[in-house]
Amino acid sequence: MTMDRRTVLGLGGAVAAGSLLAPGVYLVAAPKPPARTEVKAGRRWAMLIDVNRCSPDCRACTQACRTENNVPLFGDPERDIHWIRKVEIRDKSHKRPSITLPVLCNHCEHPPCKHVCPTAATFQRQDGLVLVDMHRCIGCRYCIIACPYKARSLVYHETHLPEGGNPKVPIRGKGVVEKCTFCVHRLDAGEEPACVEACNRDGDKGMIFGDLNDPESTIAKRVLEAKTTTIRPDLGLGPQVYYKGL
Amino acid sequence: MNSDFTAIEGRSPGYWQLVVVLGVVLAIGMGAFLAVEFLGHGITNMTNRVVWGLPHVFAISLLVMASGALNLGSMSTVFAAKQYKQFGRFSAYLAIALLSGGLMVLMLDLGRPDRMLLPMLHMNFSSMFTWNVFLYSGFFALCFLYLWSMFEYHQFTKVVGSAAFGWRLILTTGTGSIFGVVQARDVFHSAITGPTFVAFSLSSGTALSAILLILTYRHTHRELDKRLVFGLRNALIFFTLLVLYMLVVEKFTKFYSPAFFEVESWLLTGPYAWLYWGGVVFAGAVFPLAVLFLPKSGNSVDGVLLASASSVLGVFCFVGHVLIAGQSYPFDMFPGYEIVNSVFQDGVAASYSPGAVEISLGLGGVALSGLIYLLGIKFFRLLPEKAVVPKGWEVPWNP
Amino acid sequence: MAWFRPVVVAMALLAVLFGGAGGPEAGASSLGSGPPGGGSQGGPQLAKAKGDACVKDRAWMRRNHMDFLKHRRDETVREGIRIRDESLLNCQSCHTSRTEFCDRCHSFVGVQPDCFHCHNYK
Repeated sequence: MTMDRRTVLGLGGAVAAGSLLAPGVYLVAAPKPPARTEVKAGRRWAMLIDVNRCSPDCRACTQACRTENNVPLFGDPERDIHWIRKVEIRDKSHKRPSITLPVLCNHCEHPPCKHVCPTAATFQRQDGLVLVDMHRCIGCRYCIIACPYKARSLVYHETHLPEGGNPKVPIRGKGVVEKCTFCVHRLDAGEEPACVEACNRDGDKGMIFGDLNDPESTIAKRVLEAKTTTIRPDLGLGPQVYYKGL
Repeated sequence: MNSDFTAIEGRSPGYWQLVVVLGVVLAIGMGAFLAVEFLGHGITNMTNRVVWGLPHVFAISLLVMASGALNLGSMSTVFAAKQYKQFGRFSAYLAIALLSGGLMVLMLDLGRPDRMLLPMLHMNFSSMFTWNVFLYSGFFALCFLYLWSMFEYHQFTKVVGSAAFGWRLILTTGTGSIFGVVQARDVFHSAITGPTFVAFSLSSGTALSAILLILTYRHTHRELDKRLVFGLRNALIFFTLLVLYMLVVEKFTKFYSPAFFEVESWLLTGPYAWLYWGGVVFAGAVFPLAVLFLPKSGNSVDGVLLASASSVLGVFCFVGHVLIAGQSYPFDMFPGYEIVNSVFQDGVAASYSPGAVEISLGLGGVALSGLIYLLGIKFFRLLPEKAVVPKGWEVPWNP
Repeated sequence: MAWFRPVVVAMALLAVLFGGAGGPEAGASSLGSGPPGGGSQGGPQLAKAKGDACVKDRAWMRRNHMDFLKHRRDETVREGIRIRDESLLNCQSCHTSRTEFCDRCHSFVGVQPDCFHCHNYK
């Protein structure tokens, strides 16, 4: 465990303690966010998922994502939005048991969605995050055509902040395209993405998140020492979600 | 020659009936747009797997035909086929009309049509869409200049007409490349997708021009020399053979590689095989060729009309097949594995059947193009009173 | 074509008049002189804020708060520059009610910013 992780956990603890001690006076007790934060250029956020640990019935990551980011479910499987989804696969010879794994936006190094976006609404931040600027998306859906991971969805219906939703993450209006942000609001506040946190708290402890360009980070060491792969590396997109045991 | 051009009278009940019908269809299309704008794309039948549906099929087909409509003009301006000089104005005007209809549908189907001017403000030059914004607006401008030069400044016709010809080839390659460059989609990721669009634009544009010329002259009781139609027939035969050639080369190359066995077999035998065999191959190529090559039908104006209609249907089917089958084919995210279970239908082919909203919006675009054409031939001197062949010219070949 | 000259002159005069009145200094002084907690005479009655002072003085905020929220949004979204004092979340810590603060003034001046379609503000 690195210093980075420790700071992160410490901060989370402080928040938890603060909200426990002073539930009614949130405004006074909550630690004020820093006056100004900025992206650290040269960072490369990445995720490592240990497929062997991922059990078929666990939904910790997908549920945490839905609550954290107010990802809507319309009750229409063809149009429901999934920022992260569980997929069960089996090798074609049927000789090995099936495996399950979460699939999410890979925050590619060469994102095809960014390349095709006519308004540059989809862009790549300096730390490698591929994000959608909802103020600029015109809803042309070319990015959905271009993404080989099916990570993106058009918002087909009006959405509202759900009961118990997270007021800190804006909902997305109908007609724009949304996808996983690696919980950019949490990263900028020094926290881990919600799925990773939930996996390590309630789930199978199979997800690691961190800065791949920092040689001291856990993820950089683990990606080096274990044999990992990505989904469709042959496409040359440089996905930043690594899988171990696939 | 110039004085021979006259506008049609456009006072008959038939003309006004046609205008009213198209106006109503356009109004229904606008209603569909407003419904989608206010209620969201939830009222369409598009899904998160088939995100481009029937409106895009209509829009892109119209855009492909718009560039093809310039064929007649290019034949005389660039390739010195003097007998078609009299249709130059018609040709450039038709291109503008079709482009307007297609672009309207494309714009109005955006998820956020209120932001449709944003691509002008924030340009991303790696996007084929941004390139197409320039290609379409440039084509508009060139067609307009071409038209203007044919009316007023004949000395510029050759230059502008040649520029427009070059531009339309790039334009349609650009339209095809919207699909061709997308690496993620096995169905249409190919260098030949752009050229195939060009071939289809040549055949369908010629076909649509033939249809409109024959019908316009027939219903205005003007004189259209049969030999001009048969000249167009020969061009249509040539262009349709080009289409067939493109289709065969693509399938041949892909079937040569075992990596494409799965997707290509799915295309030729799967749920959209009917669209490929019946629409693209039969309506788009085989049937028109058969009709045009048979002496009895090939040498009659109605035969050319029938073959042309089939060819226009073919381009709709081609674009529809590229779009719908291309999006329905599931991604092979895990080569060597099969997908057992997923909440997001991974590994399962999608299905799409257009709803009333999409049909209305798409037909609205066709109606707009039709209206612009109808009003154009009434208010501008686009067509010659008598379309005759120059002395000494004969159709070089007849079936 | 001389007939339209008076029209042009009149329009230019009007533009100068209104442009001057609406300029930053004049506007700020006229808007900033209301009683504390409420609006100017005849203006909308706005809910009193918690806390001691806003991040900028009232006159400046009245005129320019949208620069923080709208114009800086590109920097926040695309470059990840998050400035606490200029964020919509921070507004809510003092101006706790959207309906009694933001909406009242927005409807008084007749603007319809669509921030709140997506951004939550109680």
